[in-house]
Amino acid sequence: MSRGRIIFFGYGKFGYSIANELVEKGAEVLLIVEDELEYQSSLKDSRFKRSFLIDVTDDDKLKTLPIELEDQLVCLMDDDHLNVFLVLSLKALFPRNRILALSDSIHATRKLKMAGASQVIDLYSISANRIHNILNKPIATHFLEGFLDSKHEYSFREIEIPKGSFLHEKNLDTIDFRHYKIIFIGMIDTELANSFIFVTTGLEHKLDSGDIIVCIGKDEDLDNFEDLISYQEEPKE
Amino acid sequence: MKSSLKERIESSILQRILRLNQSTFYNNLRFRVNELLENKKNPYKRFLDYFIIFLILSSVFILIYEVNHKIPKWLDYYDIYFVSLIFFIEYLLRLWLSSNLMSDISKEYQQSIAIGKPFNIWKSLRAGLKKKFSYMITPAAIIDFLAILPAYRPLRVFRIFVLFRFLKLLRYTRSINQFVEVLASKRFELLTLLGLLFFVTLTGAIAIYILEDMRNPNIKNIFDAIYWSLVTITTVGYGDIAPISDMGRVIAMAIILFGIAMISFGTSVIVSAFSEKLNELKEERIIEEINKNREFLIVCGYGQMTKMFFRQSKPLYHSYIILEKDSQKVQEAIHDGYDAIVDDASRHETLRRFNIKGAKVTLLCMSHDDIENIYIILNAKSVDPRIRVIARASSPKLISKYERAGAEHILLPNQVAGTMMVTAILNPTIYKAIYAIFTGQNVALIDEIKVVEYSYLIKKEIGSIDLKKYKLILIGIKKEITKEFIFNPEDDVTIEEKDILLLMGHKANISYFREKSLSKNGDL
Repeated sequence: MSRGRIIFFGYGKFGYSIANELVEKGAEVLLIVEDELEYQSSLKDSRFKRSFLIDVTDDDKLKTLPIELEDQLVCLMDDDHLNVFLVLSLKALFPRNRILALSDSIHATRKLKMAGASQVIDLYSISANRIHNILNKPIATHFLEGFLDSKHEYSFREIEIPKGSFLHEKNLDTIDFRHYKIIFIGMIDTELANSFIFVTTGLEHKLDSGDIIVCIGKDEDLDNFEDLISYQEEPKE
Repeated sequence: MKSSLKERIESSILQRILRLNQSTFYNNLRFRVNELLENKKNPYKRFLDYFIIFLILSSVFILIYEVNHKIPKWLDYYDIYFVSLIFFIEYLLRLWLSSNLMSDISKEYQQSIAIGKPFNIWKSLRAGLKKKFSYMITPAAIIDFLAILPAYRPLRVFRIFVLFRFLKLLRYTRSINQFVEVLASKRFELLTLLGLLFFVTLTGAIAIYILEDMRNPNIKNIFDAIYWSLVTITTVGYGDIAPISDMGRVIAMAIILFGIAMISFGTSVIVSAFSEKLNELKEERIIEEINKNREFLIVCGYGQMTKMFFRQSKPLYHSYIILEKDSQKVQEAIHDGYDAIVDDASRHETLRRFNIKGAKVTLLCMSHDDIENIYIILNAKSVDPRIRVIARASSPKLISKYERAGAEHILLPNQVAGTMMVTAILNPTIYKAIYAIFTGQNVALIDEIKVVEYSYLIKKEIGSIDLKKYKLILIGIKKEITKEFIFNPEDDVTIEEKDILLLMGHKANISYFREKSLSKNGDL
């Protein structure tokens, strides 16, 4: 989980629901809006840390924002052009911050990346893929929906190998994750800028304490697994 | 009082007609024959068409070959009895279908009863037969009738009617049919032109006849004059008859000039008719092609979502057609290499053009306008509830409306993107994994492998399959018998025929495993 605050630009058709979900999940959100109505609407909701009404095209105004190095900048302006412009401005002003943006047009994704966004969520790419899944892979669709629907049947989880765990110095190949009713899908390489490596790429690794593995499964099984690996020896059933 | 013989006959005919009209067998038969002969969407009609085309071509070939060669007896019999008999039956069936005699008489009888008027069966029969007769004198029916005649051998002159067999092709070959339709659309212009041609030809003929009748040895009568005039006006000019007087040549020059003008005019009329109809014809062809499939997609609108959908799927797994109201967008789709037509999916008639009954149809409503999407869904469901609908909704609040309209799958792009965004913000490290899985990237594709008959996998336990070797992860298995999806199944679960394995892995590895799973003795 990231520790920095979230500087959220835009409280429109996308911003509204995402900002609220973030707050619900306990994140610290600073809202920056350009539109008076959006600003008023954000003020009504006291859950946001702070709200600012500024002209986001004005670099001088952006500079005055209390943005720190660990903060993530999220660009969700309703207008594509403005969103690209904002990403470009933010990248110039805060080059070391992580900038995320949502692309609401198939032409904008590339532009947002060129403008300097660290991560672009392409709404159309994800949706089109889902249509393909619905048409061709009904079971895969059903499974993936399990992650998205309100019940959250399945989840992804990052699990850190605790100190003194029985998994310490164990080879990944020798661990039977199925035994714990979860599926191991990859791990995070802390040495390589926290990048994710899929197990399907032929991952071979000896686990150390502090390594972060990523698994999918039902929440209770994932909780159970997290409990178990804190032991020094694998508990026998 | 005893009823007269006439009355008894009338009553008996009426009874039979009424009984026949109510008979399910009769009505079913009529419906089926109609489907076979007239319904272009009927998949079996194609076979009947090919069969008749074969009969026509073979019989024409026999009749031509016969002119100079001796043909075997069986071929002669085939032509006389088989082909002609089929044509005769076809003619009778078409005559039968041309109007519904039984239903017409029954309706008239019921009306008479209702208003208390005496019913005259002969009058109704006469009216019904008149309808049949009007069909018999339509050009198509005349061609059909004359096409039967070459079978009559005693009169060799009937062999010329073999031409009518050729004309029968009109009914069975679409391109000729469409050509005639295009010409028919310019009937007024073409008839005007023909009238003018007739007038000028006749004027030229009369003039040359009067001027050169005595002097020109080649012009013996008015027929020669008409022949010369037509040959000249059409710029053919055989030269077998030529004017010899100066006045005759002046007339020839005048009608040659006129002829050139008329040919240009005629050509331009036909060309413009074709260019006007070209798009329509192309669209017809696209629809006919798609209707041949057992399963196809109707994609409504060529917006951003549709573009992305097509970009992600080359080659497409399904046959498809794009319906778009905006002709500019249709041009764009065609330019991008997709089959698209200008039509409005919210119209009942539009969807009726497709073979909804005979095929499994899926409709994609990709518009960002919820009102339009819901209207299209309701339209599709009113055409046929079996049409599967995948629709895009802009807000979770609208899901119930979409469900009520009948959509089978509802897509919420904003919600999916929102979930992804939240994950990207809160769990940046695993975001890449989730994004790869949700966008179906090659490295982490989730795919289904159906266990086919004779597959090596049948009766194997999950634990005995070394998926690590293929760098694959087994996510779950859908059991065919229980229809249950087992997430992360235990090692002792046995794989059975038609079960579906849900795997995750690199696209290439999945393909490799799929290939192996098809074999009887796969090295698994």
